Amino acid sequence: MKQLQPLWNIWKSRGGRLLVGLLLAELSVCAVFLLMGQTGSRLGLIAVGGVAAFGILRFAGASRIILRYLERLATHDATFRVLADIRLWFYRGLAKGAAAGLGFRRSGDLLSRLVADVQSLDSFYLRILVPLATALLSLCIVLGICLKGSVLLAFSIGIIFCLVAFALPTLMAKISYRWGPELQRTQAEMNNQALDLVGGMRELRIFGQEDAATERFLTAEDVFYTAQRRQGRAMAHVHALSLLLTRLGVVFALAGCTGFFFPKEQAVMGITILFVVMTALDNIVDLPRAGLLFGRIRHAAERVVEATIVPNGTPGEGTEPAPNGHEIEGKNITFGWLPGKTVLHNVNFRIREGERAALIGPSGAGKSSLAALLLKVVAPKKGSITLGGHDIASIQTEALRSKVAWLSQSSHLFDDTVRSNLLLGRDGISEDAIWAALEQAQIADFVRSLPDGLDSWIGENGSHISGGQGRRIALARVLLSDAPVLILDEPGSGLDMETERAFLATLNQLDRSRTILLITHRLTGVEQLDHLWTIQDGTLISHSL
Amino acid sequence: MKADKKMLKSWVRQQNSANRSATMTMALVGMCNVLTGMVLVWSLASILAELLASGQGVALRWLVLFVLASILRVILGYAQEQLAVSSGEKARKRLRRELLARFFAQGPALLRHQHSAALASLLTDRIEALEGYFARWLPASALWVVAQWSVVLVVFWQNHRAGFILGGCCLFLPVFQAVFGIATAVASRRQLLALNRLQVRFLDRIRGIATIVLSGNAEKDAQNLGRAADELRQRTMKVLRMAFLTSASTDIAMIVALVWIVIDQRHSLLHGGSIPQTTSILFAVLMVPEAFAPFRALSAAYQDRAQITNSGEAIQKLPLLPELTVKESAPRLVPDRTDKGIDLDVRNISYQWVEDRPLALDDVSFHLKAGDIALLTGPSGAGKSTLIEMLLGFIRPREGHILLGGADLQALQPADMTRQISWIGQKPVIFAGTLRENIMFAAPAASEKQLQEALEASAIVDYLALLPDGLETKLGEGGYGLSGGQAQRIAIARAFLKDAPLLIMDEPTAHLDPATEQDILVSLRRLLKGRTALISTHSSQFHNIGETVHLAIEKGRVMEQEIL
Repeated sequence: MKQLQPLWNIWKSRGGRLLVGLLLAELSVCAVFLLMGQTGSRLGLIAVGGVAAFGILRFAGASRIILRYLERLATHDATFRVLADIRLWFYRGLAKGAAAGLGFRRSGDLLSRLVADVQSLDSFYLRILVPLATALLSLCIVLGICLKGSVLLAFSIGIIFCLVAFALPTLMAKISYRWGPELQRTQAEMNNQALDLVGGMRELRIFGQEDAATERFLTAEDVFYTAQRRQGRAMAHVHALSLLLTRLGVVFALAGCTGFFFPKEQAVMGITILFVVMTALDNIVDLPRAGLLFGRIRHAAERVVEATIVPNGTPGEGTEPAPNGHEIEGKNITFGWLPGKTVLHNVNFRIREGERAALIGPSGAGKSSLAALLLKVVAPKKGSITLGGHDIASIQTEALRSKVAWLSQSSHLFDDTVRSNLLLGRDGISEDAIWAALEQAQIADFVRSLPDGLDSWIGENGSHISGGQGRRIALARVLLSDAPVLILDEPGSGLDMETERAFLATLNQLDRSRTILLITHRLTGVEQLDHLWTIQDGTLISHSL
Repeated sequence: MKADKKMLKSWVRQQNSANRSATMTMALVGMCNVLTGMVLVWSLASILAELLASGQGVALRWLVLFVLASILRVILGYAQEQLAVSSGEKARKRLRRELLARFFAQGPALLRHQHSAALASLLTDRIEALEGYFARWLPASALWVVAQWSVVLVVFWQNHRAGFILGGCCLFLPVFQAVFGIATAVASRRQLLALNRLQVRFLDRIRGIATIVLSGNAEKDAQNLGRAADELRQRTMKVLRMAFLTSASTDIAMIVALVWIVIDQRHSLLHGGSIPQTTSILFAVLMVPEAFAPFRALSAAYQDRAQITNSGEAIQKLPLLPELTVKESAPRLVPDRTDKGIDLDVRNISYQWVEDRPLALDDVSFHLKAGDIALLTGPSGAGKSTLIEMLLGFIRPREGHILLGGADLQALQPADMTRQISWIGQKPVIFAGTLRENIMFAAPAASEKQLQEALEASAIVDYLALLPDGLETKLGEGGYGLSGGQAQRIAIARAFLKDAPLLIMDEPTAHLDPATEQDILVSLRRLLKGRTALISTHSSQFHNIGETVHLAIEKGRVMEQEIL
């Protein structure tokens, strides 16, 4: 539980509001007890012919209604605030550590799952903390009232209450925590089979394997449901047990009234105790379910916190501002993603300001690793890289990245307008500059033809536009940044041959103060280059032009 | 828009009626639970009344009845829970199978209209989200009116005045709901939409976080995100202030009923009432929570109801493609295969993907003799992929015919057709499983010797030694990552194993570097022997593959046809 400290800190920072919500919840519970206790005692009183006043009863009813309303408002408001805090914290944590590396891995699904985990943290306060806290207060009230009858009664009701409100939920939390990974694994297996089944529909049809694949998918479904059923059954048993225990509690209270097992109470007192006990037990009967939720939330919280931990080998932040020059030099760089496997071995290179270089090699040869090194996503095992004569390890990461713009193979297009996709939160960029970048990326005509121009929505990951168009918008985004160094990783992928050539030709006309490093698996012939390198077996080979 | 809503409604109705028997069973058990509750409360009221009246001992039979009813209630509650679990599971399984059948009936052309990840999530997450709807909402909505009013009636039968009060308060419930509910429903639906949009935005940002971080804009974006969340919170709370009035109305109705009954009954009990009188009053008071419990269960399941609309809308969005089935009774045709390959005759075919768009294929005709190799070229969007999907049988021509070995493609049983065709696309789908499984699935009955031959012909043997577990290396999601060239060799091995006379390739080397392309071409040349082939490609390397027919296609028409 210790690793969940960062989450606790967020909760703590909203402590005041959370406490107010909790306090209102407690008061509202007091009002219920007053209401039910009064109902019992008033009924008892008039039944035995006494004279009863109903002021407190009316007051209790009215305050219950009002307090419950206020409680809902306060707890929800606090929850929303914490929720926003958690998301922001998660976003910042991810941005600081793991995010840069994600650009070099495909992990969209993993991230979606994490976002779902963040969302499931919502219910911790509303559905676990508040009910538990009110249960604790209820226990005190019930014990206090029962003690007016007899110690034995208070003792047995207290035990039943603790079993239902605390022991069973803990048990359920343990069970769901233990079974959680199994459930998640089987569900992931089912999802993978579904992806295979749908994504591979062409292959399955051509090779006549649709039935076999369907069967595999349905088997995975069955395994998942078996695991789910097992937890469902455990839940049903625990729920039945908690129902049984609460009934037993009522029987005890009743026995107390009738004098079967306990010293007989005074009739009116007895009926009051009974009403209070019944109310208390009714309120806690669903707490075991909250236990189930707790197990799930604990897993989610652990995954979320883990995702924000900065992985080992992430280069340090650095303190120096970005230098003025932007000549790039790599000296004796050795690097590998995994220990024992080097991708680059003793690599040396130099790109002067404004030079154009191309790096060619088959996939997996280490081309993108070089980009990762230049952007300080990873640090070289040996050797160093300098920008404008300064070691990039000592330059502030954010400042470095404003100097080196990168077009990755998987540049993300946001579910937003063309304009926001180009600007990514920057301001102070003129309309002319935007159109110039679009022109260079060969997409200006298309954007002009859209009904809303720059303010057209491009859909989730650019779903409203074609792959090639999306690619060119990502290109324009890189061209628009004022970074003097551009790293273009396979800029032609997704473009047809003609567009690719036209784009590469515009690169030639780009301001000669900008350095361009082209990473690609083949040249088209229109590139005007100062350097041509290939990577083979981890070493860089320079070719004459 | 209206038609969509109507379709959605009828779809939901269809789901409800498919689940009717399970829903009714659950509602019935729920009703039994309510009736047992009445017995329970009656016995409790009787015990208390005797106690209050005499102060002496209590008849044992009431106590026994109380204990028995309590136990029965536990059992019924347990049964309800079990039923909910199994009914939720059954409904999800049924829906999943319906969707699967629909996917397969429409075939791979679906992938042209929707992303595979969206289709897969429809099959999994969207259906999983419906558990609550079938397990909780449906039985609760079937039960609540009957349960509530039978409680009111029983109370009325025992105690007219209390029954009137309780009934009045229950009647008040729908009125309250109407006054606060309708006003808030509209606003909160809009709010839900906004909340949903914020969640989608958050997810979108997180998915693209690398792009933002590597452009050095992370902090600015974080601030924007925080502002948007705060704005939404303020607007949400405005709506919730009203929406909680609706839930408060349930509290009001119940508490007013309780307090009113207690205060009202004091007259009848003045100077001590008889035992039956006291019993009836206690019964009425204790039944008040019971009367409102079904409505509370309904409110608790309310968010489950929203899920059916979400999933239903996603299913409605699926394209309605013609189903690719051939009448079982049609005479079985067998295409004519020779040693050199198979004859392919395409006659005047046309096709249109969307009504008001230009034709994707416009009166296309060509003829390939057995053993011919055709290169299909043309700019993207010219209709190459459409032609290929049609030859693969994923879509059917609007007009014209395709004759494969003398048999009309459309009249062939799917199995008979696919037996004649192999296909290599740009990137093969590698399934979760071992390398062996990934190759063998092309021909599960193939012998070990045939597998070895395919491995050699496709040159997989060259990299086999590099894999951690050889043929048993796990591939696919979370498995060993193959390079583009290595994956394409699997596709070639599949085609070798399948040994079909017609080979169709869709830019098989588009994602490969020139060196790898050269290697792959060596294997492809081997594969082409004894087969008719149609290869769509941009690469000039294919001109060296041997004597080929060149088909240039542009704007859906075959522009030239020459032999190189």
